[in-house]
Amino acid sequence: MSRPIVRAALSSILAASIATSTVTPAFAQRAVGQRPDIATDEGGLWAQSDKAETEAKTKAELNRDPELTPYVRGVACKVAAEYCGEVRVYVLDRPYFNAAMAPNGYMEVWSGLLLRARSESELAFVLGHEVTHFAQGHSLASWRKTKSAANAGMVFMLVGGSIVGGLLYLGVLSSLFAFDRTQETEADALGLARAVKAGYDPSAAAAIWRSLGEETAASDFPKTRRSDTRASIFNTHPITPDRIAALDALAAGAATPSVGERARYRAQIRRFLPAWLTDDLRRRDYGQTLHLIDRLAADGEDLGVLEFYKGEAFRRRRQEGDLEKAKVAYAAAATRPDAPVAVWRELGDVEARLGLTTEARTAYETYLAKAGDADDRWLVEASLKKINGGAAS
Amino acid sequence: MIIRSLRIGAAAGALLALAACAGIKAVPAGPYVHGGTSMTVGRTWTDLGLVPGSPKALRMLTIDGPALNTLFVIDGLKDGEYIVRATSKERPTPTYRRGISPSEQVEFLADSTAAIGFQRVETDNIRPVTVSGVDGVRVDLTAQTAAGLNVSGTAQLVEVGGRLYILFYVAPTEHYFEATRAEVEAIMGSAKITG
Repeated sequence: MSRPIVRAALSSILAASIATSTVTPAFAQRAVGQRPDIATDEGGLWAQSDKAETEAKTKAELNRDPELTPYVRGVACKVAAEYCGEVRVYVLDRPYFNAAMAPNGYMEVWSGLLLRARSESELAFVLGHEVTHFAQGHSLASWRKTKSAANAGMVFMLVGGSIVGGLLYLGVLSSLFAFDRTQETEADALGLARAVKAGYDPSAAAAIWRSLGEETAASDFPKTRRSDTRASIFNTHPITPDRIAALDALAAGAATPSVGERARYRAQIRRFLPAWLTDDLRRRDYGQTLHLIDRLAADGEDLGVLEFYKGEAFRRRRQEGDLEKAKVAYAAAATRPDAPVAVWRELGDVEARLGLTTEARTAYETYLAKAGDADDRWLVEASLKKINGGAAS
Repeated sequence: MIIRSLRIGAAAGALLALAACAGIKAVPAGPYVHGGTSMTVGRTWTDLGLVPGSPKALRMLTIDGPALNTLFVIDGLKDGEYIVRATSKERPTPTYRRGISPSEQVEFLADSTAAIGFQRVETDNIRPVTVSGVDGVRVDLTAQTAAGLNVSGTAQLVEVGGRLYILFYVAPTEHYFEATRAEVEAIMGSAKITG
């Protein structure tokens, strides 16, 4: 059976499964093009969302690449289907896994998610999950629950007090919605159905949630390792094993994802790998970054870049034995055609620290030969002079 | 905590920081000494004093207010010390390590600048400098505030006796950075380490 036929069949099965499953939409699906009266509580929620969206347009973190946002919007549109005309995507360069969609159609997708998705199917599932929160009115339902427990004015003051760096993040606003277990389960199931209906791989849903759990377990910090895995740093409901099992069950029998699909997705994000990995290193949870790099390297692509950043993670972590591990990673990167030139400078520095002067000399000389008129050339020349005992090379 | 919340270009944050500073005082033109760092300023600056939550080694000097121009004077960070205090163990900030290479010193400054809250921090034009007979590095930086305002910076870093001495100036790129650049260059040129 060809993949499109398999997917069409799976789509029908999934739709049927979801229809007969215990997932009962908690809220009626919103009408296409729906816009609430500003005088209503929903209108107030839209006003806050409009404000967050306005601020997003000038944020320093807004990714202004002319191709990336249209690409992500295209994926969002496929899973949003009937709501495509209402979805407005903003990609923010923030190194955390997060996507969120406001009631007004404003969707934030953070680079930490794009870096962690291994395929377009994984991205599509996460966006489908968020579109489901939007389509099923989860935000409004949660908002009403929050309001019933607190004065509405007080809640908006809380939003104001949660502004990060003077800016209102959609995620901060979303955190007040506090999706419950039922809503998250529904968003998983219906998000998967949306992704499958759009032709994406069903197994991607459980795969990306599972990998997030593995990354949590790889953290340098015991408290993080002990904590629940969440699909967003703002989420209140964790990704529990039963949610993953439910997605596995829904996708049972599906074909494994094709390497070709992952390669096409990588082509979309390849040029951002250095900047996004640098951002990730600045989180200083090197266990998680190393796990992420291994996941990115699993398909055998971009190994020069990925091995370089693996070396950077070890060099920065500075645990026992990390200098040797950094050397191994840099040396591996140096054998790849896509290695950044900086790899020879870093390799030289590490080898010099390990007392491997002959190897360090070779690495420095290679850097100088490749780096052209790099502004740190004098630094490397000084290092070379130092290991040569003060004599010019 | 205070320095972490400070965002150049965010007036409210700056006001909060100012309100929390202890010992704000005018610095008239002439010699300025902070610990083992001495330098000469060519006009009146304001020393914001000890900023709560930041290391004792750090002082912030400004002409027009921290949102418009700030000279960070960091007097000899010891091994394990930071410019920006971490708010939790799980969100660590960069710490200085004795004996790091000059390029790692620049990396430490860039990462600390990002930890303050600046976005898209880039370093450029790394060049040698000698301060009190010790080799150090000069570097320029560009970044943006969270709200998207372009800022420029220039810094001088030198390690003496296993301690890192930094002068780091940052201001909005438009008007303010260039308007005060000559003064800052003169200050950096006059700096001496006696610590």
